[in-house]
Amino acid sequence: MKQASILCGASLTDLYRQWAGDYPKFFKMDTLSKLGFLLAEMLVHDEPERFTFREDRAVLVFSREGCVANDRNYARSMQDFPSPALFVYTLPNIVSGEISIRNKWGGESSAFVLESYDEAQIWEIVRQAFQDSRTKSAFVAWIDCPADENYVTNAWLVDKTDLF
Amino acid sequence: MENLIDELKLKVIDALNLDGMTAADIEDDAPLFGDAGLGLDSIDVLELIVLLEKNYGIRLASPAEGKEVFKSMAVMAAYVAGHRTK
Repeated sequence: MKQASILCGASLTDLYRQWAGDYPKFFKMDTLSKLGFLLAEMLVHDEPERFTFREDRAVLVFSREGCVANDRNYARSMQDFPSPALFVYTLPNIVSGEISIRNKWGGESSAFVLESYDEAQIWEIVRQAFQDSRTKSAFVAWIDCPADENYVTNAWLVDKTDLF
Repeated sequence: MENLIDELKLKVIDALNLDGMTAADIEDDAPLFGDAGLGLDSIDVLELIVLLEKNYGIRLASPAEGKEVFKSMAVMAAYVAGHRTK
């Protein structure tokens, strides 16, 4: 099982240039989605046949605060002109969609908002995701981002054989 | 024109919250929309329409018209230069 994380305070732009550099949409993302995007890049950048559509990989993102950092930014923009660019990230599951789109992963794509970091609950949900007949691997991440400059991340690339 | 292009790049970066991007990252003639260019989409057109109205007094009739105006930074700057009221 491969693992990756991003330390709070790291320059996400520098990490983008190091790990991707070819996806300008990154700059439009909220911090939650940027973190998810980068964690996925770190875990799969050297995979063969990248960007070939596949349905056997799930994306499961967990957090406590969801997209509240971007929600606050959007609320602030309403004092002037409500920003459509911020509005589109006011859902906590946009991050899992961004990762799926970037990597052409057509399997299950879900975001879970938990009351707290609960490892047992997270891995129980991951195990459930493998119960269908098509899922063979999963990108799993805990990305908690209560503010743009305050976040905790941990991500894993899990094969079915790692769990069963 | 060169100054106006640079000014517009900075305003677009600010309006679209392109955090971490610099003016140097945007080529004057690169398409703003689609994966080949800046990766903007229809939602962003709304932001750019507001940008033109607030900063240059230009009111576009529709998002469809915006797509023509926002083909690239160079096209956008030429349009602003020819239509600005402030």
